[in-house]
Amino acid sequence: MRRGLMGRDETELPVAALEARLERLRSALDAAGLDALVVYTNNVRPSAVTWLTGFTPYWNDALLMVPTTGAPIFATALSKRVSEWIRTTDPISEIANSPKPGALIGQRLAGDAAMRRVGVLELDTLPTGLADDLAAAAPAAEWHDATALFAGLRRTVDDVERKLFLRADAIAQEALRQAEANAATDAATLSGLVEQNARLAGAEEAYIAIAPDLAADRRFNRISRALPLGARFAVRASVAYKGAWVRRARTFAADATSTEADRWFDRAVRSLESGKPLTAQIAAKVKELPGAKLDSCMAESCTGSYPLSVVAHLRAPGNDVVSDGQFLVLTVELSLGRAPWIGAAPTIVGTGAL
Amino acid sequence: MLADRRRRRLTDAMAEAGLDALVIYGNAWQGDYLRYATDFGILEGQALAIVRRDGHITLYLDSPLEADRAALDCPGLEIVQAPDFAVEAERAMERMRNQRIGAAPWRLIPRRIGARADDLKLGDETAFFDRLLMHKIDDEIAAIRRASRLADEGYKVFMQAARVGRADYELVAEAEAFFRAKGVPDNFQIVGVGGVEVKGMAPPSGRRLKRGDMVTTELTPCIDGYYAQICRTLVIGDATPEQKAAHALWRESMEAGIATVRDGVTAADIAKAENDVFRKHGMGQYTTSEYTRVRGHGMGLFADSKPHILEDVTTRIEAGMALIVHPNTYHPAVGYMVLGDGVAVTEDGCEVLTATPRELFGVAG
Repeated sequence: MRRGLMGRDETELPVAALEARLERLRSALDAAGLDALVVYTNNVRPSAVTWLTGFTPYWNDALLMVPTTGAPIFATALSKRVSEWIRTTDPISEIANSPKPGALIGQRLAGDAAMRRVGVLELDTLPTGLADDLAAAAPAAEWHDATALFAGLRRTVDDVERKLFLRADAIAQEALRQAEANAATDAATLSGLVEQNARLAGAEEAYIAIAPDLAADRRFNRISRALPLGARFAVRASVAYKGAWVRRARTFAADATSTEADRWFDRAVRSLESGKPLTAQIAAKVKELPGAKLDSCMAESCTGSYPLSVVAHLRAPGNDVVSDGQFLVLTVELSLGRAPWIGAAPTIVGTGAL
Repeated sequence: MLADRRRRRLTDAMAEAGLDALVIYGNAWQGDYLRYATDFGILEGQALAIVRRDGHITLYLDSPLEADRAALDCPGLEIVQAPDFAVEAERAMERMRNQRIGAAPWRLIPRRIGARADDLKLGDETAFFDRLLMHKIDDEIAAIRRASRLADEGYKVFMQAARVGRADYELVAEAEAFFRAKGVPDNFQIVGVGGVEVKGMAPPSGRRLKRGDMVTTELTPCIDGYYAQICRTLVIGDATPEQKAAHALWRESMEAGIATVRDGVTAADIAKAENDVFRKHGMGQYTTSEYTRVRGHGMGLFADSKPHILEDVTTRIEAGMALIVHPNTYHPAVGYMVLGDGVAVTEDGCEVLTATPRELFGVAG
């Protein structure tokens, strides 16, 4: 649930940037022979609507319909009182309140003879209640999955979004420094300190996960018990700023074994090359770190409604060729001799940084 | 353990209802059905669980990060991680063709599965599940009682953080840090800062507190997945006579609502008791949907559980339910004001779970 700072700032997210994104979407719809795109949003699936309109839900769910001509229509079951707040974050949509947002969007589609072929982002996982209402209200509409079409638009990051990622990453990095100060000896206290730091810096949301004793278990968890921190532990901060999500993970060790790996990881993230498979690049770069073995490598990006979803994984080889301008969060797990090390950082391919 | 007792209750109810399996959907927003069955508190991505009548549970998750967490938190579950989690669950359901399968909450079941309801012999069992969620066993009420105590403590932290010049999100940051360190993994919280221009609560917008502002909040921490809520209003500086008079009305309304709560009444009875106080003071129009959403709601594994306390909701209130009674609405002279206490329903009344004084608090301006 979103509890932190939410709100649109024209200097951070100009209307012109949103209009440019909508124009790219309309061109893609035209090229695909689609008359409109329907996008679902809720707390955990906010990112497509955020990218198109600036709005991120803190509660409830909603549908956005973007026709190839005219303003987007945002249909929500949230009350009219909340519309005033929605308007402060979404400057471009028509906001329509209805206890049945699916029926409302369906009626709009049915009322315009020009809108028959309708793309739906992530059609398979559209909630049944909304899907049934849409279909009942627009019986003549043809529904097409537009997940790949939308992912194509998200393949490159614009400068406005890059700056939001930068801010989110700065918040995450600073929050993780709480673990350097030895201010906490248990995982729950450290989690609270890291989250407090991120929220005080303006994070919209912060999920803090800790692997309290890497020697025993490398898996991260959201910890709210006073588990003691081991000699080697890792902290992951997943941080959102104005709808832009990043992850950072760091390994903290009583000895200095992780410092060299930290430097290697920083270089590796900055030197990813366009046109080459991601996991193969990381596997090759690990050879530059003496004594290191690559145990896992995963890349996430924002391609649809999720803030971050997996686009490449060492365990599931596929087409993981990266391209210039692509936003990635890279998570790498190494064995340094017998010592585990985990790091995660965001990057934009081809820029040497975010 | 609470989770084990809950799961037994679920499988017993399934046997009684003639259900062979249940397909349950969850995400971090609407995670109560999933938590009830699996005890997993999902944070990212989406999940489906298939619960067999013999108690075997398979949890399908699309996020590998969440699969790690589920394996740590819920070692008794069979966990399947797949980007196409709905496809995996659908395949499993295809192998259960001759069985009677229910789904909940129906409206959120992925369309891919919902569209094959007839083919898969899948029925909407949301109402069946809602009864389990609303009527709680003693251990569930005990968890809400513990969460209520932390809501009281959290409000103190929030109040201590409020001072001139601080931004609204900084107050939330202090409360969240307190909750994390106290074993609270999640908290739903919205705020309002200002005066007559404030028509409701929302996430923090960056507004900085100034003398004379009313600061409203609802804090909703959870323990073992169970959310308990408290609503309070404070003033930066000294409260005005109008603010004090408005708060007295809110308190009278909330106390009228709480006095109505007992086994056998309806949600509508409680709402009417609250709203009648507003009507008596010529403020009836502020009890409508133009100014307020609900006059309270259930508390449980979802921050905004059923039943909603409204004059048109006829759900019977029974011992074992937990509710918050909150006549939160707008006042034309002072702005949006909130006051709410959590209660556990008993045979002859209710146990008030929150202990924070029912005051309009003032903090140094």
